[in-house]
Amino acid sequence: MPLPSPLSRLPLEQIPGVWRGHELAAVKARSTGHAALDALLPGGGWPIGALTELVPLIEGIGEVDVLRTTLKRLCDEKRHIVFVRPPYIPYAPALLRAGLPLPRVLWIDAAQDEDARWAAEQTLREGAAGAVLLWSSAIADRPLRRLQLAAEAGQSLAFIYRPAVTLNNSSPAALRIVLRPAPSALGVEVLKARGGRAGFVFLPVDTSV
Amino acid sequence: MLWLCISSPVQDKHALKALASWAGQFSSCVCFDTERWLLWLEIGSSLRYFSGLAVLLEKVAAGLTALGLTATTGVAPTPEAAALLTRQPQVLPVLKLNQLQQAIASLPLNELALFPAVIGGLQASGVTTVGELLALPRAALARRWGMQLTDYLQRLLGERPDPRKPYRAPQTYHRRFDFAEAVKTVEGLLFPLRRILYELQGYLRGRDAALQTLNVAFRHHDHADTVLILRTTDPQRDALRLFALVREKLERTQLPGAVMEIRLAVERFVALRDTQLHLWDEGQRNDAGWSDLLDKLRARLGDQAVRRLGLRDDHRPEKAWCVEDGAATSDLPPAFPDRPLWLLSPRPIQRLPKLLGKPERIEAGWWTGEDSSRDYYIAQTAEGSRWWLYREAATSRWFLQGIWA
Repeated sequence: MPLPSPLSRLPLEQIPGVWRGHELAAVKARSTGHAALDALLPGGGWPIGALTELVPLIEGIGEVDVLRTTLKRLCDEKRHIVFVRPPYIPYAPALLRAGLPLPRVLWIDAAQDEDARWAAEQTLREGAAGAVLLWSSAIADRPLRRLQLAAEAGQSLAFIYRPAVTLNNSSPAALRIVLRPAPSALGVEVLKARGGRAGFVFLPVDTSV
Repeated sequence: MLWLCISSPVQDKHALKALASWAGQFSSCVCFDTERWLLWLEIGSSLRYFSGLAVLLEKVAAGLTALGLTATTGVAPTPEAAALLTRQPQVLPVLKLNQLQQAIASLPLNELALFPAVIGGLQASGVTTVGELLALPRAALARRWGMQLTDYLQRLLGERPDPRKPYRAPQTYHRRFDFAEAVKTVEGLLFPLRRILYELQGYLRGRDAALQTLNVAFRHHDHADTVLILRTTDPQRDALRLFALVREKLERTQLPGAVMEIRLAVERFVALRDTQLHLWDEGQRNDAGWSDLLDKLRARLGDQAVRRLGLRDDHRPEKAWCVEDGAATSDLPPAFPDRPLWLLSPRPIQRLPKLLGKPERIEAGWWTGEDSSRDYYIAQTAEGSRWWLYREAATSRWFLQGIWA
């Protein structure tokens, strides 16, 4: 009969060198403004100085609106929001309605995906903006790694919007989220969270007209 | 007065003038001689500003190195003595007039700025050093070799004034840099570019100014010039920063052929610490990182690609926004209705998705002849996307114009 290990009688937190999963690394984060989502994410929000990958399954489901509270708060703190190669024209009246003063918003309309990633990388590395939102269809790992490193260097919020086809590949992003349409809601599925766990929440979408 | 003389290693009039403009950062009195390729700076009045001769000389030497030039210098109380000392770099700077004669006594005669015939004649009569020449009676020298010789010696020793016409740097900056052989690669352009930007930095320091627009033109043999116009968000004068911007832009530019000549031009100058508001960086003037970033982005992506947004007072949704150009407003009227984040150029739709709520009637443009009366709806597609649609009243056709991202 195997003897019970003396360690097994100790409470977990008293064993040297053992941490629980969620205590692994103190993740610096910024509230998403959605309590349910904050509760799911390590550090309680969007990671600071790390890349967050957002994969909306279709467009027009509130995939940018999910960031609204965070972006507004950054603007309130006089930080800049940089949209890099968004798929359409960011509509000035909508930005203002969302509480983002126009002088705080920069729209970089790069012609090539590569230029867009370069611009995002420079902006992130400088840490000059509060948040960078990049739309890129790059499949490879390497460009994302570069962005992840730049985000670490600049310690700002970094969001990359990628098409669903990229879900087949692994990702170096610290946080990887799929956004799904749901009746009067946005489905937020956390696929991977460094220092956290996977999970799913529904965020209500205001559809009142 | 104390003179610093630089023996110019470049024997080209444009280059010497550019060097004189560059030297303006060290002295308010600069002059040059295009026959002997010498440049003089009166530094007696700059010593305090640079906290001493050693620091000043170090800065001049570092500046010359940055320009890629190896030049000898001499320091003495008269221009001619300073020029003489450039030929004898081992001689320490001479600061006082009464130490001058002794300091140059042992130098060989042939270093003096005299006609070879005069030097030859003096050597033939047994005079070999400056000291031996200065020991001879001046009146006899004047009779034998002419007033020119004694006049030169008097100016050399500071016995008579030696007025020089100071070089006045022009009010606008133009620098031409010719290549002996056409340059075919961008790499080949970078070195001279960096050098002429260092010259420009010296000029800007000299007049205590900065720039916001820089024109760089590359002349080709049988093509129109390639012109790069660089605009910086904040006033700039740092050579390396400007170089990084020009380089970024140049590497993104297709040169139609080899380059024969670079022309650099600055037409307007601004104060470096100008507090006037600029439409790009209102409220961000102290945020050097942000404006450097904008410059970097625009240098590579083009001015048009880096945009700020503004509003226009127009009811038509596609005309209610603009790329910020200084004339736009950025405040919404109160109670402005909700709008989608993405604006699309209207595209006709065949199958109408489910419409939510009541329409918003937008009428505008009739006074310009572009009559457009439209009913806007929010709609939900079967897949779950929210669209912004309108029905054109005149034709009853449906268009998609926005997406609620």
